Amino acid sequence: MTPADTILEHEAERLAGQLPPLMVAAERVAMTVAQGIHGRRRIGQGETFWQFRRYEFGDSVQRVDWRQSAKADPVYVRETEWEAAQSVWLWVDRSPSMAFRSASGLPSKGERAAVLGLALATLLMRGGERVALLDDDRPPGGGSARLHRMAEILGRPMDGAPSLPEVPLLPRHANVVLLSDWLAPADVIQRLIRQFASNAVGGHIVQILDPAEEAFPFEGRIRFDGPESEGELLVRRGQSMKAPYQQALSQHIDAIESAVRSVGWSMTRHRTDAPAETALLAAYAAIGVDRGDLS
Amino acid sequence: MTAFGPIAFLSPLFLFALAALPVIWWLIRTNPPAPRRITFPAIRLLFGLAQHEETTARTPIWLLIARMLLAALIIVALARPVMNPERVLAGSGPLVLVVDNGWAAAPRWNDRRTAMNGLIDRAERAGRGVVLMPTAAPADGGAPEAVLLPPGDAKEKAGTLVPVPWPVDRMAALAALDALTLDGSVNVVWLSDGLADDDDTAFAEALQHRGQLTVIIDPPGESARLLEIDRSTGLELAVIVTRPTAGAAEERWLRATDPEGQIVTRVSAVFEPESRTARAVIDLPPQRRNDIAQLTLEGASGSGSVILIDNRWRRRPVGLVSGLTQEKAQALLSDLYYLERAIAPYHEVSQGEIDTLLAAELSVLILADVGQLTLGEQRAIENWVRAGGVLIRFAGPRLAERDDRLLPTALRRGERALGGALSWAAPARIAPFDADSPFNGLEIPPDVVVNRQVLAEPSIELAERTWARLADGTPLITGKREEDGWIVLVHTTANTDWSNLALSGLYVEMLRRLVDLASGAGVGTGDEDLPPVAILDGFGRLGAPDPGVQPVAAADWPGLEAGPAHPPGYYGREGERRAFNLTDGIDGMEPLGPLPAGVSQRSFDGTGEIDLMPWFLLAAMILILADGIVSLMLRGLIRARAGAMTAGLLLGLFALPAGDGWAQSDPFSPDALAKRAALETRLAYVLTGIPQVDDVSLAGLRGLGTVLTRRTSVEPATPMGVDIETDELSVFPLLYWPVTAGQPAPSDAAVARLNNYLRNGGMIVFDTRENDPGRIGTVGRDPVVLLRRLVRGLDIRPLTPVPAEHVLTKSFYLLQDFPGRWRGGNVWVEEDPQVNDGVSAVVVGGHDWAGAWAVDERGAPMFAVVPGGEQQRETAFRFGVNLVMYAMTGNYKADQVHIPAIMERLGL
Repeated sequence: MTPADTILEHEAERLAGQLPPLMVAAERVAMTVAQGIHGRRRIGQGETFWQFRRYEFGDSVQRVDWRQSAKADPVYVRETEWEAAQSVWLWVDRSPSMAFRSASGLPSKGERAAVLGLALATLLMRGGERVALLDDDRPPGGGSARLHRMAEILGRPMDGAPSLPEVPLLPRHANVVLLSDWLAPADVIQRLIRQFASNAVGGHIVQILDPAEEAFPFEGRIRFDGPESEGELLVRRGQSMKAPYQQALSQHIDAIESAVRSVGWSMTRHRTDAPAETALLAAYAAIGVDRGDLS
Repeated sequence: MTAFGPIAFLSPLFLFALAALPVIWWLIRTNPPAPRRITFPAIRLLFGLAQHEETTARTPIWLLIARMLLAALIIVALARPVMNPERVLAGSGPLVLVVDNGWAAAPRWNDRRTAMNGLIDRAERAGRGVVLMPTAAPADGGAPEAVLLPPGDAKEKAGTLVPVPWPVDRMAALAALDALTLDGSVNVVWLSDGLADDDDTAFAEALQHRGQLTVIIDPPGESARLLEIDRSTGLELAVIVTRPTAGAAEERWLRATDPEGQIVTRVSAVFEPESRTARAVIDLPPQRRNDIAQLTLEGASGSGSVILIDNRWRRRPVGLVSGLTQEKAQALLSDLYYLERAIAPYHEVSQGEIDTLLAAELSVLILADVGQLTLGEQRAIENWVRAGGVLIRFAGPRLAERDDRLLPTALRRGERALGGALSWAAPARIAPFDADSPFNGLEIPPDVVVNRQVLAEPSIELAERTWARLADGTPLITGKREEDGWIVLVHTTANTDWSNLALSGLYVEMLRRLVDLASGAGVGTGDEDLPPVAILDGFGRLGAPDPGVQPVAAADWPGLEAGPAHPPGYYGREGERRAFNLTDGIDGMEPLGPLPAGVSQRSFDGTGEIDLMPWFLLAAMILILADGIVSLMLRGLIRARAGAMTAGLLLGLFALPAGDGWAQSDPFSPDALAKRAALETRLAYVLTGIPQVDDVSLAGLRGLGTVLTRRTSVEPATPMGVDIETDELSVFPLLYWPVTAGQPAPSDAAVARLNNYLRNGGMIVFDTRENDPGRIGTVGRDPVVLLRRLVRGLDIRPLTPVPAEHVLTKSFYLLQDFPGRWRGGNVWVEEDPQVNDGVSAVVVGGHDWAGAWAVDERGAPMFAVVPGGEQQRETAFRFGVNLVMYAMTGNYKADQVHIPAIMERLGL
């Protein structure tokens, strides 16, 4: 592992450590059943209390609930609920446009996306979920080894990475979390979201923008280049382009948001000059609900 | 030359270039500024947007006008405009420029040069030749010369003409002029220094004979001053300032500087009205007065306003050599530490190897407990001593074992101990000095005692070579003359090992007297020639001598005349040089006599013509700067506000005041703390800035202090919190450092101080105070990361868990583990400490020891100890005792493992 991976991983771990373990709201439990923490409304291995029952020969003494037993004559054993896990596929945009940063003190969009993605993965794994990268061919899994592998993939620079994910065959009712700047043409993005949704895949979209991409602080004569060879454009007076640009941007975002809403997905937006914690919190609020809501 | 009213152009042809301005206008106008390139991910959104056509693709009109003005300014500047052009010279022949460039011309040399340039410019415009004739003998020792030159060459020569530090020789110059035949009626201008010589009137008449004579002369109050040491008094250092004419009352200041140019003092000399001389007395203690190397009249230049003072072996170079190798690490144990502190205030001290020291200039060599020297070193030192060096040796264990012949007296092998555990004899005091001892008159403090010394073999010369002895008569300091030099032996150590002499003022005074032995060699005693060392130039600045400067024979010294062969300056050899001042070489000064009738006379303050070219160019330069800033702003590279700031900054650079900050910190707090801390042994903790943590540290160390006082001979005073950024650390045996999240990493200065502390026997106990003992050593966990941040840059060797046989386990109590509020986990020490006798400089653990030790005001424990209860607290206290013992006594308990073997060998 390179030092950069380690740094990325530490940063993500620090971020994730500040929130309670995240749980994806299980609308429907995936067909793949494994140990997790979504209540199965059955007795099983888990942590949530399910019921007391009378002690039977063969039960471990450690499972005796002494407080309950002291209230009555019989000896009671505490039983917990069987919990199951959810699979989440993450995708982080690593295309050249994500390398943009408008000021040297800011992280690039790509760095911020990688940190957020890894922090989300950490939270999900800590919550008992199983996570995979969309462009990695491994099945979803958990554990620190998987986290390390993800950090390694996300921390590695990638030339010619696509700015939109391919749509692989995912199990029905799987969840995807897509992090990108979403600056590709709006109709392409809309088509992509519908393709995912047609497979009954739930999803969440995080849009990460640089402050300059929102505020358009450019003045004077400027020749703009596209980072992914979109072409170039000479602007004679940057100030005069500000208002039309901001209007075009909000239209673009509206188009994406309407597509997201129409398939029942959710979307959060983030600017790289805001702390990563706020973005994580917003994504957390959108993707999952905490345990208190379930019980 | 073309004149327009008061302004004339010297190169009017350039003005035709103004016709090209319309072309420049057209070129600038059609060329818009280049765009910036920016890579922008959201460019797709920009593609569809319509652009409003703006006129800013072209340069704005006001910027165009500014640029045209810029071009016009440069063209006009090239046309050489001058204001108030001088009138054309009268007559038809060449211009003869007689320039006094002796020592007295230096004070207003710039005025003279301006006048020369103005006159040559006029000659140039009139198309005349110029004869530039300096009246002082040139530095190469030849006669003054006069040549007819074209004005360009004459101007070049005038530019290189500088005043010389000797008087003028006008008649010699006149002879050179006589050798020249000049056509037409000559214009003669004499830039006079206003001083008379033997035949100044005849000189003026001879000049007038050749054509129209104009004399330009200093106003009486502005002419040169002459400094002279007042030799009529014996004791005080006094200076007489002379002015050529008596006039109004006047106060001038004299500046006394040391060889490095630092000001020693300033004194004023006041001319009474109608008096030609003023006297200034420099009243300083002798030591300060010895520092003076030069006296300078402020506000004047020239060799006449400088007095050089002989500087014969005043601050002598002293070389220190020690037999110890690790001198730097432990200052207070070092021999050289005391020597350097004693000598450095008075002399130049350098340390090093014997051969490197001897290779440089050296008058005293001090060998502190250096045993036998190699034969090569002995020979080198011996030759150097015979040539006048002073060798001072201090005794010590090494010298006691192996000596050599570079000693004033033969020594007995081994040392003699006075007092101590195995001796009945008391430490000896120093007997009063003999009348013929070099130390005669020094007061001997009653508390100076000598515990050990080396003994001299009795011999016949011993008594006369003994300069100081102990109360029982044995020699303490012996010395012998070796041709021009001395060999001195101090029979005890230079540090405090054998004697507390090094802590007394007597030590300093004795060393001063010993170093003064090296002053013996005088200057000019022999009959050899004194070569020039450093010479004053015409402006009174010291510099390397020209090749034309001749050595002075010692016999010629009295009555030496200042001239090209012997300008004022230092003569002799480096280190023993003798000053030759201008006043030693001339006969005082008198004002210029009355000039013949018909001579026009004026001063240098004439309304000269002003060359306007630099001003035009400056205006153009400012416009270029402004234009650059404006262009950047137009391209959006800097914002308008930033642009204004940049412009302000540039303006500010011109008007930058020479203000320096009043960076004065309160010198009392760290010092006062150090003094308070030094008086008693104290434990200390590092202030973290978090009150709860600091309170626990204080309470913990107080509790530990109580236990130490009750059970051991260590009786620490109230613990102190120290700020590692400012406080003196060296007075504390032990620093307790709780690791907290909020604490900033130490600054570089603090890291350097901590390293110094650790290297010189300090110990730091880091306590990460964490609950989970297993955390120590696990990568990425908080306290360890914090600890790493705090100790970054500290000089700490690799750590290891405390080994089973470590001294920490037995320095007072026998312990197996080291619990604090928590039990378990490792305590880490340095694996193989290199300094401080193998004592680990850091101890690292996470047991929250201060929490276990903490007691409140009534002595009751403040925190519960888990899981072991009071038994564990007791162990924690025992660990604390062991820790303090380890910090204060080092590794000596490690020797206890050998006790059985020692006992067995002793047969017990």
